[in-house]
Amino acid sequence: MVLRELELRHFRNLGVQELRFPPEGVAVVGDNAQGKSNLLEAIYYLESFRSFRGAGDGQLGAFSEDVFHLRAAVSGERPATVSAGFDRKLRKKKVTVDGNDASRIADALGRLGAVAFSPADAGLVSGGPGRRRRFLDVVLSLNRPGYVKALQEYRRALVQRNAALRAGSGRAAVRAWEGPLVTQGGAVAVLRQEWVAAWADAFAAYYRAVSGNGAAAMEYRPNLGVGADPADDASDPPPEAARESFRRKLDDGWDDDVRRGSTGAGPHRDELRITVESGGRRVPVRTYGSGGQRRTAALALRLVEAATIRRQRAAEPILLLDDAFAELDPGRSERVMSLMEEEGRGQVILTVPKESDVRLRSMSLARWRIRAGAIEA
Amino acid sequence: MSSIDSLAQEFGRLPGIGTKTSARLVYHLLKGPKVDLHRLATALSDVADRVRPCRVCGSYSDDEVCGVCRDPSRNAKVICVVEEAYEVGAIDRSGMYRGVFHVLGGRLSPLDGVGPEKLNIDGLMSRVGAEEAGAQEAGAEEVILATNASVEGEATAVYVENLLRPFPLRITRLARGIPMGSDLEYVDGTTIAEALAGRREMARP
Ligand SMILES: [Zn+2]
Repeated sequence: MVLRELELRHFRNLGVQELRFPPEGVAVVGDNAQGKSNLLEAIYYLESFRSFRGAGDGQLGAFSEDVFHLRAAVSGERPATVSAGFDRKLRKKKVTVDGNDASRIADALGRLGAVAFSPADAGLVSGGPGRRRRFLDVVLSLNRPGYVKALQEYRRALVQRNAALRAGSGRAAVRAWEGPLVTQGGAVAVLRQEWVAAWADAFAAYYRAVSGNGAAAMEYRPNLGVGADPADDASDPPPEAARESFRRKLDDGWDDDVRRGSTGAGPHRDELRITVESGGRRVPVRTYGSGGQRRTAALALRLVEAATIRRQRAAEPILLLDDAFAELDPGRSERVMSLMEEEGRGQVILTVPKESDVRLRSMSLARWRIRAGAIEA
Repeated sequence: MSSIDSLAQEFGRLPGIGTKTSARLVYHLLKGPKVDLHRLATALSDVADRVRPCRVCGSYSDDEVCGVCRDPSRNAKVICVVEEAYEVGAIDRSGMYRGVFHVLGGRLSPLDGVGPEKLNIDGLMSRVGAEEAGAQEAGAEEVILATNASVEGEATAVYVENLLRPFPLRITRLARGIPMGSDLEYVDGTTIAEALAGRREMARP
C-alpha cells in the first residue's frame, strides 16, 4: 500500500498539518524530541488504532486539547480513507473507513499494511514473554481474519472465569465459562502455532542475512498441547487437540485455580522462544544474547511481520523506520537496508537525526525537516 | 429543586438521554396541552402500580400470569429461555414461535457480580420438573436456549443446559444466524425466524 495523504489534528506535538507523501516515501530529518517518532506513531495508529510505543490513547493528544484526530488516504491494492479520533474527556474512540463508522475496530484494522521498526524493538526480545505474545497478537490481528474475535472472546471468558473462581459460586458456575474459554483459546493457540510454523525458516534466514553469518530460531512454546505440526498429517486436527488439552489442564489445575483465584492454563501463558547459537549451543537470546544479537533478532521479527503482510494481504507493506538502525553497527545496518530493497519496492518512511544517517536507496528519497512538530516538506 | 429541574433530572437518568435532551423533552411537554401531560403521568403510574413479573415466566405483565402464558393456543411444552423481558417481544414479532417463554432476568457475569443465584433459574427448574405442584404445564418437551451469542450468553446457556441435562428433554440452542455479540433486541424478525428454524441440539460436553 502507499500512504498518499495524512491529516493531523492535535496528535502529540504535531499540531494541525496536512501532508502529501511521495509514493516512494520520504526521509524525515530532525533532532531528537522534535516529533519524528510522533509522526510514525500517528501513521501506525491508523493501522492498529493503538500506539506502537505502548502509550494509552489518553496520552496521545496535545496537552491543551481534549480531542485528537487523524486521517490517512492510502492507494494501492486496496485504496481507502481511514480516520481515527479520540476524545480524552469522553474516553471515546471513533474510527471510520471511507467515511463509514466502523462499528467494531476490528473491521478497520490493517488498512495501511504498515510495519514500524523502532530502536525500542530490542525489548521485544529482551522483555518478558508478554511482550512477544503481544507481538504475535498484533501481527495475527492485522493479518488473520478471525484472530481478533477469538482473542477478545478468549480474554472475556478468561476474566469471567477468574471472577467466578473468586466469587466462590461453585464448580458448575465456573465450568460454564469453560465452553467459550476452550473454544476461543484453542483457536488462538492454533493460529499462533500456524503462524510460527509458517515463518520460522524465514526468521532464521533474515537473522542470518542481517547478522552476517549468525544462527537464530523462533519456536512456539504453547501452554496447551496443540497437536502435531499442521504441516504433518497429524492424527488429531490441531483445534480439537488444543481444546482437549485445554480441558484436561483445567480439570487437573482445578485446586490450584481455586486457591489462586485465577486460571493457570491457557494461551495467556504461551511463549515465543527465540534462541541464538553460541559456542555450538542454542541459548535463549533473552537471557544469554548480546545487545547486537537481540537487536538483530528483533529486526528479523519485524522483517517477518512485513513478509506476512506481503503474503497474507498481497500488498507491499509500508515500512516505517524510526531511526531504527541507530544502534546497529554499520555492517548490519547496511545489510538490513539492502535486504529491504531486495524484498520489495514499497514505500519507506524513515526518520533520522542527521542527513548523513540516510543510506542506500533511501538516499534518493525526498527530505523533509521537522522542528518542534512542524514538518517542512 | 424546581419541578422542572426534577423532571429533567429523571429523564436524564434514562439510557441514551443527556442533559440537553432531557431539558428539551421537559419543555416540549410543557408547551403541549395539559391533558397530554396528565395522560403521560397516568401511564407512568399505571406501569408503576400494575406491572409485575409474570408468576410463571418472569416476563412483565399487568396480571399475575401474562397473556402468553394464559394463551391456550400456545404450546406450553416448548419453553424459550431469554435473558431479558424485552426479548420476548423480539422473538414473538418474528411470528415463527408458538411456544412459551422463560425470562432469566439477565445473564451470568461474575465480573458484574451476577452469579446463578441472581437469575430466575429456580423458576425454570420448577417449570421443567414434573413433580412441582401446581405447574399446569409441567413436563416440558423442549427448552430452547435463546440467550445472546456473546461470551456471557454462551456461558449462561451452558450453565442452564447442565442443570437441565437430567430431565428427559430436548435442549436446543438458537442457530448461529444471529451475529455473535448482537442483542436479540436489534435483530430483525426474519433472522430470528431463521435462527429458530435452524436451532440445534446442544452438544453434550
Ligand atoms: Zn408468563
